[in-house]
Amino acid sequence: MSDLKPGASLAGTTAMVGVGHSDWIADYAAVRGGTKPHDSFGYAAIAFNRALADAGIDKSEINGLVSGPPTAHERMCEVLGIDPNWGTQADAMMGIQAAMMAIATGMCEVVALVYGNDQRSAAVNYGGSNAAGGNAFLSYIYHAPWGFTSQGALYAIMLRRFMHDTGFTERDLAEVAVAQRLHSSLNPHALMKKRVTVDDYMATHYVCEPLHLLDYCLINDGGVAFIMMSAERARRGKRKPAVIHGIGRHDLSREATSLEPRLTNFYRPAQKKVAEQAFNMAGAGPKDISCLQIYDSFSVHIPLALEGYGYCGYGEAAKFFRDTGISLARGLPVNTSGGHLSESYMQGWNHQVEAVRQIRGECGERQVKDCRFVHYSSDVAGKALSIIYGH
Amino acid sequence: MSERKYIEPQPSAETQPFWDGAKQGKLLVRSCRSCDKAHWYPRNHCPLCGSRDLEWIEASGKGEVYSYSYMRRADPPYVMAYVTLAEGPTMMTNLVECDADKIRIGDKVQVKFIETSGGVHLPMFTPQSAVP
Repeated sequence: MSDLKPGASLAGTTAMVGVGHSDWIADYAAVRGGTKPHDSFGYAAIAFNRALADAGIDKSEINGLVSGPPTAHERMCEVLGIDPNWGTQADAMMGIQAAMMAIATGMCEVVALVYGNDQRSAAVNYGGSNAAGGNAFLSYIYHAPWGFTSQGALYAIMLRRFMHDTGFTERDLAEVAVAQRLHSSLNPHALMKKRVTVDDYMATHYVCEPLHLLDYCLINDGGVAFIMMSAERARRGKRKPAVIHGIGRHDLSREATSLEPRLTNFYRPAQKKVAEQAFNMAGAGPKDISCLQIYDSFSVHIPLALEGYGYCGYGEAAKFFRDTGISLARGLPVNTSGGHLSESYMQGWNHQVEAVRQIRGECGERQVKDCRFVHYSSDVAGKALSIIYGH
Repeated sequence: MSERKYIEPQPSAETQPFWDGAKQGKLLVRSCRSCDKAHWYPRNHCPLCGSRDLEWIEASGKGEVYSYSYMRRADPPYVMAYVTLAEGPTMMTNLVECDADKIRIGDKVQVKFIETSGGVHLPMFTPQSAVP
């Protein structure tokens, strides 16, 4: 295994050429007002049309389709009115990885990846006693008989141990919410735009202690879509592509129920392998990254990813926050759109949109100067995954 | 404050002996005769070495707090915890009969079974100093 370089032959072969999403702000207001603008397929279809328009291509060019987890693939093809000759059902990261392989092997040429989720209007339950067969006592992370029924509980317990081991504090964690609200205040698409201070954060209530309200992601309806094709074809197209230079994945599922080592080692064993894969493949390292997009169902993902991917040493996230910084105001900006905490909870899909826009230089007030490489990472549900986007 | 209502566990073929043991006040752990290691949750196939030569061992019931979260907003509030057993595995549980504000990672704890309204005995843990 030591000589194996997973995915190396895919470096720089594939690009994102179009991104689109639904009107998160208008739909959030409509749903809170008691109406339901669209179902999951409808949100996905809106995003799909916008991604096509953004890419400057016609629907007839699409011959691969990745459907996100909430929407059945067959029905999605019907709703969009396309008959692809390659496709699969996958989340954002695994869908991108699959599309790269499909394009590189000639299974298809132009892939649309679409996601729609009516999670708020449909009152989808990510926690609580009804979630995911929790009373089976061995089902994934849920241990309902003991009242352990939510992802928040998992990350609260992980954070408590991380604080114990490293000296990280609640006020340190507050820096994530503060930075991401600064970013969302500069993002016209973000749901939560009001800037907050560390003291504002500390004044919000605990949900699962020590996690405060502002450590949790939003729950909202919406859709996101991207268009991918070979980098060579993308460079001949109308729009500036975001080329995928590196990608990596490593799972930690053998001891999923006892959460070892994902809880006991904070995903570090997987992140170490993914960092080697993705950075080596891209020929870039942490010092070359202009901004980070980190899957932030909970704010605690940010310090764990900064340490896990080598932006600082283990136990040094708080020091990194202080000495370097994680916002557009100072240092290495993390989640420049506001992320799941403040922009929109599109389960990693909206992070790709932001990565592409940063590479293209389309982010206006929140644009990172001289943006060369964007690193996206996702460390959830037992899988560590990363993408390195560039020019 | 309401009385705590537990979500009743659903025993499977693999876990039924665990729940039967709990009813008798025994904390049973699955251990592998081949690699000599205990694992959690109980399975019929050792996740560590792949062997099916497994046995049930009665754990000492002693462990220490790996991490915890106080669910202050629940009614009634309760303390979730991961406890590392003296036998090795780390398991999800609750800390009961303790002062939630005084719990610390590393605290020594002892198993204590709590009966649900459905008659299932759930293994919980309490600080060892609180056990007579």
